[in-house]
Amino acid sequence: MAILFLLRSIVPCATIEVLSMKRDNAKSDPDRPKDATHPGAVDQGGLNRRRFLEAAGFSISLAAIGGCRRAPRQIALPFPIQPPGVIPGQMRYYASTCEGCSASCGLLVGTRDGRPLKMEGMPEHPLSGGGLCAVGQAVPMELYDSQRLMAPLRDGKTASWFDIDQEIIAALRSVREQKKSVRFVSSTITSPTLQATIDSFLGQFADAKHITLDAVSSSAILDAHEQTHGSRLLPHYRLERAEVLVSFGADFLGTWISPVEYTAAWRDRRIPTVEHPAMSYHVQFEGRMSLTGSNADRRIQIRPEEQRLLLEHLASNIAILAGDRLDWPLQPDPPLLNGNLGTLLDEVAERLWKAKNRSLVLSDSQDVDEQILVNYINHLLGSYGATIDLERPSRQRQGNDREVAQLLEDLKTGNVGALLVARTDLTHNLPDRASLLDAIGHVPLIVSFAEREDDFASLARFVCPDHRPLESWSDAEPIDGLVSLAQPTLNPQGKTRSILESLALWSSRRDSAYDIVRAHWRGAILPRCPEAGDFQQFWDETLQKGFVHLTPRATRVRAFDKSVLKPPRPAEAPDGFSLVLYTNVAMPESRHAHNPWLQELPDPVTKVTWGNYVSLSPHVAAELGLKEGDVLEVNAEDAEARIELPLVIQPGQHDRVLAIALAYGCKGTERFAGIGPEWLEARPTVQPGERVGKNAARFLHFQNGSLRYSRDNVTLRKTAKRRQLAATQEHHAIEVPPDVAPHGAARREIIQETTLAAFTKNPEAGAAEVHYDPEAQLWPEDHPKKDHHWGMVIDLNACTGCSACMIACQSENNVPVVGADEVRRHREMHWLRIDRYYEGEDAREGVAHQPMLCQHCDNAPCETVCPVLATVHSSEGLNEQIYNRCVGTRYCANNCPYKVRRFNWFEYAHDDLLQNLALNPDVTVRSRGVMEKCSMCVQRIEEARIAARSAGVPLADGDVQTACQQSCPARAIVFGDMNDLKSEIHAAQQNPRRYRVLEELNVRPSVSYLRVVKNQDEQNEKNKEA
Amino acid sequence: MRSRLPTTNDTPAMQQRVITIVLLIGLFFSLSLLVSGMSGWRLPDDQQGYAPVQPIAYSHRLHAGELQIKCGFCHSAATMSQYAAIPSSDVCMKCHAFVTASFNVMREELRLADETKNLLAKVEGKPESEIPALTKQALEDLHEQSDALQIPSDQLKILYDSLGLDDQLQPIEGKTPKSIPWVRVHNLPDYVCFNHQAHVTAGVTCQRCHGPVETMDRVRQFASLSMGWCVNCHREASERGIDGHPVSASINCTVCHH
Repeated sequence: MAILFLLRSIVPCATIEVLSMKRDNAKSDPDRPKDATHPGAVDQGGLNRRRFLEAAGFSISLAAIGGCRRAPRQIALPFPIQPPGVIPGQMRYYASTCEGCSASCGLLVGTRDGRPLKMEGMPEHPLSGGGLCAVGQAVPMELYDSQRLMAPLRDGKTASWFDIDQEIIAALRSVREQKKSVRFVSSTITSPTLQATIDSFLGQFADAKHITLDAVSSSAILDAHEQTHGSRLLPHYRLERAEVLVSFGADFLGTWISPVEYTAAWRDRRIPTVEHPAMSYHVQFEGRMSLTGSNADRRIQIRPEEQRLLLEHLASNIAILAGDRLDWPLQPDPPLLNGNLGTLLDEVAERLWKAKNRSLVLSDSQDVDEQILVNYINHLLGSYGATIDLERPSRQRQGNDREVAQLLEDLKTGNVGALLVARTDLTHNLPDRASLLDAIGHVPLIVSFAEREDDFASLARFVCPDHRPLESWSDAEPIDGLVSLAQPTLNPQGKTRSILESLALWSSRRDSAYDIVRAHWRGAILPRCPEAGDFQQFWDETLQKGFVHLTPRATRVRAFDKSVLKPPRPAEAPDGFSLVLYTNVAMPESRHAHNPWLQELPDPVTKVTWGNYVSLSPHVAAELGLKEGDVLEVNAEDAEARIELPLVIQPGQHDRVLAIALAYGCKGTERFAGIGPEWLEARPTVQPGERVGKNAARFLHFQNGSLRYSRDNVTLRKTAKRRQLAATQEHHAIEVPPDVAPHGAARREIIQETTLAAFTKNPEAGAAEVHYDPEAQLWPEDHPKKDHHWGMVIDLNACTGCSACMIACQSENNVPVVGADEVRRHREMHWLRIDRYYEGEDAREGVAHQPMLCQHCDNAPCETVCPVLATVHSSEGLNEQIYNRCVGTRYCANNCPYKVRRFNWFEYAHDDLLQNLALNPDVTVRSRGVMEKCSMCVQRIEEARIAARSAGVPLADGDVQTACQQSCPARAIVFGDMNDLKSEIHAAQQNPRRYRVLEELNVRPSVSYLRVVKNQDEQNEKNKEA
Repeated sequence: MRSRLPTTNDTPAMQQRVITIVLLIGLFFSLSLLVSGMSGWRLPDDQQGYAPVQPIAYSHRLHAGELQIKCGFCHSAATMSQYAAIPSSDVCMKCHAFVTASFNVMREELRLADETKNLLAKVEGKPESEIPALTKQALEDLHEQSDALQIPSDQLKILYDSLGLDDQLQPIEGKTPKSIPWVRVHNLPDYVCFNHQAHVTAGVTCQRCHGPVETMDRVRQFASLSMGWCVNCHREASERGIDGHPVSASINCTVCHH
């Protein structure tokens, strides 16, 4: 600095001379006020203000450059003792089991340098077949969560395990001595080891019971089978065998029981080919618009109360076809069914009957009588043994609502000495919280195993946090005879303890979870595997593979018992609105409420993020003069329950149905108030004192021994409040707004659709007319793609819109979470979005889902407008985005016809050190002011290329899998080298269904789509055209 | 009267010349000061020549140079992973479980052993009484001296300490192994991904980028590691190949930046 000042004082350097000249010019400018009037500006030869600023500015800039000498000192910590097999910087995959829900899909945990980073589906797994849903893939966010419990609590304060164990053991002893009862409540437990540990723990007490309460119960299905088949079990539905599939409300592609497995199975029968133009026929009866309904060939809106009537009618029809005599009279035309529904059901019955032994009827009804009717229909159709497997029943939902209701009674008697709750938030998930709190007050010992202080844990005297999945040993048996292991992939981060260890300790056994699992496997699992010899070998092989097939337990099932069928009840017309409670695809259980990825994942149908809402059909909304975002008060008088939620207008919903998602309004979600960037106009994601969404469990009710998710007689009232929804529905629209569209161009063929009948006649049916010359080229062909030319084909007939790919992309590519306020400003950062289109008025003609990502155009419009060459074309056909070159003009985003570019308006928070462990080290964390977009997982391409080159072999088809492709439960995405004539993508591109979105622009995208085919007759097609 | 002062020949031209000379001298001094001050200046992020002090004064000259240990013996990840990786402490123990003293001491030990051997050869076969007292004394001295050499070197003590071992290389109870906090010499920014495996398996020698590490006591950054430097090498390699065999070193941006 001193030198620079010296320089300034003696040598008038060039810069300063220029400045001085400018000053002189300014002086001679007649428009400017005379400087002489301003004493500070008078040039008196000495150091005046201007000269000081000149000198200071110059010297500061020089000093700044001079200061750029060294990057900060960085420490590299190698392992003190390297674990065998671990190579620094290399991803290794461990076979495990997903514990995101009770479906227990196969999981490959990608770990790098000792930390799990990426959850992927296990391709060999017999159920999930390589897919993994959004929830399973979002696990890293929950694993690296700094706000979960890291140590046990006593009375809300951190305590040591030793003290807590002492007290709990003493309390349990007194329970035993006083002969009081013990109740253990959990959600479905698929782990045979944990089940055995719970049973042996409860065996110590005279009156002890394990009660299963599911977040969404399927209790009625189990109860119905107990009556019709003599065994309380959940059958294993084999959707891949079903040619005709009729679902009454079951959202099996979204949230029902085992969505990944069902999606994979459903997809198997949905792909018609030229040689074999056949696909399954899927009819959905439902009140709200579910993900499954949006993918059905035929979707019929019904009120939940009508379901019984429909089932009776269907059963009667099929009974006639089957020649089965019913004791009750058939009502050929029930008075409450309008004419259309009656004929429709006749049609459905006929199709079901034609596909006898290859058809399936499903229902998510919680009315046991309705489920008995479903069983009866399936029995007549010969589904049992064909599309329904009772020999290897499912264990994915074991909830028993009758026992839950009994528990509430027991608690009130005051005879319960100990209440232990694991993996469910009892007070959050059940209605009538006040009386529940009152009942719990009588229990002397309350223990929660919750991972965080949820609603019930805050009431419990002791909170003994269980390890997170991926931190502990466990196992699962989702289907009888299919057992998988869950292995830890990192050390527990806090002083948490596996529930296995806690329960063993309180049963006076001090064992590690590893020993407990191994002991159970040695004693109970190994004998069920006849081929296995040595235990260690059996264990090692299973651990490596992840799962093993065993002889199923003997299930005593008797033949269908028709006597339990009840004669039809006289139907009553329901009053008011019917309320349907459901769970969102992104939020199946309240324990995921702390996951910001899932909270910001738009619902596949409504596209709303951050919280729940009440949805209503467009007609009724118009009738009542309601607008989207109006806060409505929903009131169920008989339950004294009310809730205030914003309105979402949902086409395709039944006019008398309201729908609200459960699993919101969880304790602790206040933490998201400050998520997103901090700036002047930032608004909190969660209002002060509020949570993300509201808990709708208050509307649940017990009826005839099951927890009901729908109720009628609900009223609606508009409040004066409004709340803007954080919905991504209309963001990044690529349709031409009708008011500015040139004549005849208003409708762009973004989604191309045809019917199976038309496809059979002409495989290219449904193609848009080409109005352009595909050979015409403005640019010279100067981008030869000699080596590889990467491309992608997405089969829209397989894609269900489940959004697993969005989370896969977010996890792989370090896509930030922006918060509700930024989402409202159209600034969500997802590189891959799923566009949802409604066809026809009120979505009557169907819904289409289209994953939209950077199309990597050969003639990319973004490239030509970038003034700094920040987006360029690679020699392999990729449209590259170079963050360091980007100056943020956003010209590229404006010129992108697909609207897939995302701008970093802010430096998105990366200050949570623990959460940063979930970042992929191979992908740059983008800073403020740069554009970003899908890179086609170029880091994976490079990784695969290097691996192949190092092995001295050419890159084979399938070596590179993008994150979205890997995780897709429906295997809808094909990625590969379009230059490779033997590749899967080359074959996919020859598919007659293939088209490119906005092809008429001739930007030559590398991503193409396969047309939607609905199993409908051509009449529908003509209707549409008309 | 032209002036009140005697320096009447002080014309404006003369004054200007003096000022010019003074300014030129000033310019010379300031430039020389500036040049010397800026010699350490470089473009932002250019770390060429950076040679931080490490927690253990590990010498590559000794290990890779004199003892000719191959680079891949310790940096074994380089052929398998994007990182060459600093070896874990247990890799050091492959040798240093046996070699516990510093190199100079080892040399001294060898010298003592040679001397002892020579002396013993002299006295071999002679009866006890015939061995001169001086030789006996020398042998005893040698023995004592080599006893004194058994103490591990200061530098190796840091290694043993990190592994929770005492001077006798026995585990110290209650002490868990800890990583040695090595200071990174080659720091690429986070937006660049350099993959060692790709380069090593393509035949690029370690020295091509890291310089003559086998001559360095303390490792310093040899090359500028700037993007231009990388791209030039990629172009050159694609044109001429590496060691005569053709390679395709892409210059697509996303090869390194993703």
